[in-house]
Amino acid sequence: MKNLRFFGHLLALSLFIYSCDGSKVERPLGEYEKGLLIINEGNFTPRDGDVSHYNFNTGEIQQNIFEKVNNRPFAGLVQDLIEYEDYFYLVANTGKVEIINKNTFESLGSVEGEELNIPRSAIIADNKIYIADWGPYNASFSNPESFIAIVSNVTGGVVSKKIETSSRPEKLHRINNDILIACTAARKIDVLGIGDDAISKSIEIPGTPAEFLELDGKLLLFSRTSSSVFFHEIDKNDYSIVNTTEINIPNPTSNLASGENGEAYIITRDGSNNSISKISITTGQIINANFFEGSGFYGIGYDKIDKYIYVADNNGFQGSGTVIVVNQNGEEVKKITSGAAPSGFVFKR
Amino acid sequence: MLLITLLFIVSFSKETNQTVLNSQDTVELKLVEVYSAPLDKYSFGQSLQKIDSRDLNEFQGQTLADLLQQRSGLFLRQYGAGMLASLTMRGTSAGHNAVFWNGIPINSPSLGQADFSILPVGGFDEATIHYGSSGALYGTDAIGGAIHLNNKSTFNKGHQTRVASTVGSFGRWNQLVEYGYSNGFYSSRSRVYRNTSKNNFKFRNLARAGSPEERQNNAAIEQIGAIQDLAWNIGANQQLSTSIWWNQTDRQIQPVMGSNDKDRQEDRNFRAVLDYNKFTTSAIWNIKTGVVLDQLQFNNSINKTSQFLLSSDIDWTISEKLKSKSGLRFNHVIGNLSSYEATEDRLELYQSINFLPSPSLSFSVNLRQMIFNGDFAPFTPSIGSEWTFFKNNKSTLSTHSSLSKSFKIPTLNDRFWVPGGNPDLESEESISAEIGLIHVFDNKRFFISSQINIYNMWVDNWIIWLPRGNFWSPENIREVRNQGLEYFITAKKTFNLTQLEFNGSYNWTLATILNTISENDRSEGNQLPYTPFHKAQGNLRLTHKTNTAFINGYWVGERYINTDNISSVAAYGILDIGFSKSLTFISKVKASVGFQVNNITNNDYQVLRLRAMPGRNYLINFNLSL
Repeated sequence: MKNLRFFGHLLALSLFIYSCDGSKVERPLGEYEKGLLIINEGNFTPRDGDVSHYNFNTGEIQQNIFEKVNNRPFAGLVQDLIEYEDYFYLVANTGKVEIINKNTFESLGSVEGEELNIPRSAIIADNKIYIADWGPYNASFSNPESFIAIVSNVTGGVVSKKIETSSRPEKLHRINNDILIACTAARKIDVLGIGDDAISKSIEIPGTPAEFLELDGKLLLFSRTSSSVFFHEIDKNDYSIVNTTEINIPNPTSNLASGENGEAYIITRDGSNNSISKISITTGQIINANFFEGSGFYGIGYDKIDKYIYVADNNGFQGSGTVIVVNQNGEEVKKITSGAAPSGFVFKR
Repeated sequence: MLLITLLFIVSFSKETNQTVLNSQDTVELKLVEVYSAPLDKYSFGQSLQKIDSRDLNEFQGQTLADLLQQRSGLFLRQYGAGMLASLTMRGTSAGHNAVFWNGIPINSPSLGQADFSILPVGGFDEATIHYGSSGALYGTDAIGGAIHLNNKSTFNKGHQTRVASTVGSFGRWNQLVEYGYSNGFYSSRSRVYRNTSKNNFKFRNLARAGSPEERQNNAAIEQIGAIQDLAWNIGANQQLSTSIWWNQTDRQIQPVMGSNDKDRQEDRNFRAVLDYNKFTTSAIWNIKTGVVLDQLQFNNSINKTSQFLLSSDIDWTISEKLKSKSGLRFNHVIGNLSSYEATEDRLELYQSINFLPSPSLSFSVNLRQMIFNGDFAPFTPSIGSEWTFFKNNKSTLSTHSSLSKSFKIPTLNDRFWVPGGNPDLESEESISAEIGLIHVFDNKRFFISSQINIYNMWVDNWIIWLPRGNFWSPENIREVRNQGLEYFITAKKTFNLTQLEFNGSYNWTLATILNTISENDRSEGNQLPYTPFHKAQGNLRLTHKTNTAFINGYWVGERYINTDNISSVAAYGILDIGFSKSLTFISKVKASVGFQVNNITNNDYQVLRLRAMPGRNYLINFNLSL
């Protein structure tokens, strides 16, 4: 009985200490504020795209966190995940953008309905959302009506304006008071002026543009053909190409992750045989064409803390995928179970 | 061991089910009925279930998919209301069941399956389900079972006219008009129908923030069709019959929730069959020729296939105890698909034998060999038996068992699609064993029949399309074990002018993936996607004089959406009620009116993930025959 009373005092004391501690003005950590977010594009028929969360400390993985938090399926194929201030923009190529709290994953708003067709990416500027959308397919499966949709509220709403692009818009990059649009089918960069919201010019690019990178203060555009990858240095004032580094690699994909000291890792795909090529953007050399090999490689990421390469395996779109963690020697360190068709990573260290 | 079991466990002739004629009766009956070969004659050891004609009436103009989903233990993967519906039997995939119309195969040779949403009830007179592996009887595709749709014409009925109308919620209007004339030598029947629905039901859109209630867009359906049946009794022992069916379905394709797709699909199906039958005291000789023309246009992409079929067989009654059917079937297939053209010749030889050593013991042996484009499909034998081991004036107990092999040749798309088609694919193969028990009790005022089947099947070389570089390509890669149980019950209680009847079924299905397709695949040991472990269905019907009331319910267990068995679509149960009244004006003018409420609890459910289905809805039927 004495022991029980002593335990009671101890409990009261601990509660007091805890309450004192809690009186500090400190925001509790959002459940998904730290850790690895795995973007799962999802399989086409079930439209089961969502995001997985991996805890680096405990090794715990949570699947479908959008559905878990919001009690409804994301119901789309996740093409991209954009971070802006406290928000994530989950871009579904099935016709919507959902805006969520980036720390808790609670839905805050959306852009959806008839206005969007095949959204690919988004960027926030001037308190507006600019959404890159391929537009509808025509009979020959091309997209002659591609556009950038503008929404005048960062938490979603209706599309207030559509601006036609030169072809399928993919990744976007903000610089000065402009948005650079990587247009894949026409192999061009379209320049969109923020504010007047009109395309001011288009610049032709060798190779199919994939994404913009910043390296050593330079702005680069990564583009590719079936046998080479290109890193075009873009003039930060007139957006012309001032320098191009070409590296001959057969069958490169658009999946690239930047590593240390101007190095990068790129997925190449020859039939069902997939490789990770390690290259140096700085020197224009292939460091190791077969740094890591396998099949079903669908996305790649680089963690600057532990210097590991994260490779997403889609498992042939048959059920959920796997993330293979690879060290600097090209050796598998561990595997993480992901959702369906993992395609990208966000490292929240 | 199984063979030993088979030798001992055998069972009784299916006289309770046998509604088609026996070969012994044919000479007498051929004058009043258009002959069609009895489906269950060489299928001892397996189960056939004829769809109740009252169900066919109540579903007039609706899809066969809806009928099977609501009134049987089978599960159909429905991509929305009135949209693509594929059947899964005994845990197999959509292409693993054969579909026949008047004895000719109508599965699409390019897709390898049938869309049960464009087969309207009213386009045939009888529907029969053959449960289980039956490749030796029917040829390719019949791994999980087969569906037979038949027209049934008669002679000596004079002029007959029938009008059937159904109106219902969401702009449904189904209309059928039929006129027939027959005398002792000639029979003709013409039918035209039109089935339309706006299909603009309300649903909760889970893909939108806040899951708002919306009306379904882009899901309207219009179907029209015509059927002509003709038959002649040529002389005393020969009959010629033909059926022609034109069916056209134009649909807006209901988009998955969250999608703004505005797809359209137009299906055109023409099927014709001509049968010649010659009857002797000991044999029936059949020559069948048929044509099946299918055109599927999805948006601007047009895919056409043609099948030309010629078959002949002789069904001998060698003795009371021994019956034999020998035949061959030739099928010329032409594919004009959006990405390729292909032709194929299929030749099949088949032999069926029934051996009935005693009135309570029967055996069937079936053998089939198909050759397609010069390649041998797997040789397909089956053996089955039925044994009535207890019988008194009220009860009968019987058991049946069978062991059978089945196969599915790769579809034209599997082999020739550009890009990715794989011409080196092998046929999918299965080996199946089943055993069952039937109990029938009948004392005139109370009837109960119950049946349980247990099966175990192994399917290998299962074809899966996988991404291979820049395109997808099919491979013989999966191995699956299907196990399960089927239970059927029918009970009838009669009190003077009142009859209470219950029909029910329950299916338990385990479809277990036995292998992995890549190093990081985790599907081994898991259930196949969209294959419910459980489905139960029941129909309680009360008939008093000319009034009928029914309550029908079915329940489908959860279905995994992927082979990883992580996410699933929730289990759901649906209750429908209905009331109908038959009226007779003058002796030959009969009418019936019916009222149905489907999904009376307004359940919000999906068959497949994110494919909206309608809530509570109403139907009014009106039938007139004179």
